[in-house]
Amino acid sequence: MKPTEEINALLVKYWKGETSLEEEDSLTKYFTGRDVADELKPYTALFQYRENLRCATLSDDFDRKLKKAIQQKKRENDYITIRIFVPALRIAASVAVALALSFGVYMMIGKSDKTYFAETYSDPNAAMEHAAFALDKLSEALQKGEEASIESIQELNKVDLDWEMLDSITESDINYQKSTDSLPLENNL
Amino acid sequence: MNSDIFNQSVLPLKDKLYRLALSIVRNRTEAEDIVQDVFLKIWSKQDEWELIDNMEAYCYRSIKNLSFDRLESMAARSAEKYNAETENMMFVDTKNPHSAFVEKEQIDIIYKCIEKLSENQKMVFQLREIEGMSYKDIAQSLNMSEELVKISLYRARKKIKELLEELNK
Repeated sequence: MKPTEEINALLVKYWKGETSLEEEDSLTKYFTGRDVADELKPYTALFQYRENLRCATLSDDFDRKLKKAIQQKKRENDYITIRIFVPALRIAASVAVALALSFGVYMMIGKSDKTYFAETYSDPNAAMEHAAFALDKLSEALQKGEEASIESIQELNKVDLDWEMLDSITESDINYQKSTDSLPLENNL
Repeated sequence: MNSDIFNQSVLPLKDKLYRLALSIVRNRTEAEDIVQDVFLKIWSKQDEWELIDNMEAYCYRSIKNLSFDRLESMAARSAEKYNAETENMMFVDTKNPHSAFVEKEQIDIIYKCIEKLSENQKMVFQLREIEGMSYKDIAQSLNMSEELVKISLYRARKKIKELLEELNK
């Protein structure tokens, strides 16, 4: 078989996707050479492209550039992490300062700043009710006290006493009575 | 530990990924940037590595997606500037100006053909033609069935053949 016929046969297989990698390499070798048959020249571009692109590689300093870019990315990530937490750190610091100040102030003036009156009711009506109840109780107690006093006075009025004689009793009379009370029992008999 | 996984599973793919990006954006600087961006993205998602079944497939997908995104943004830039950069990529210094020019014209033709392929066809075509990968490896790398790889490659080659013949009439 002539070389061109061989190539044609290979090309037919190639278009059908039936060639092996080795056969495709031999086609590339033929089409990138100088002796390409005129009728096959339209296909030269394809194999020329294959050959050209296969030689393309990254520049020698790609690894160095990539390493540098990765380090840069690492720094950016660290910076972003710090930036994300900065507001939280600021808030935490502010809260800590506020708490420390509040505690200090409390310790300084806490004892002399006792609250004597405090609002213990949130509902004004409930407060009014309780206040009215307390005043009723107080009023009731005062009423009982007054009634007891009047009762005592009435009891005293029932007793027949010579108030003028009682009023005329002097201190010396009282002392005399005390001295006679202290004598031995037999003397009184 | 993590850097070991990165060095062993991801970094060795760098040239393959670069060529895939280059085949899409057709600009060396852009392609290199894309690979670096994808590596940085993968590196910064270390917590998710355990969830990735196939790291190679993940890398290819990331490169493909970012390359197409970048291609759109490149198209939005000045067309003149883009063409100048693309031309620089095509010329090979070791060849004389005439053969370099012919070569560039041929490669421009093939790029025009590749642009007509679907994304899947492009990916399969690149991995087979440029990386010389077996159907099985392509299927594994792209999370596709081997059958779908064969069909995609067959359709891609057929379309390129037709376009080449049409362009050379």
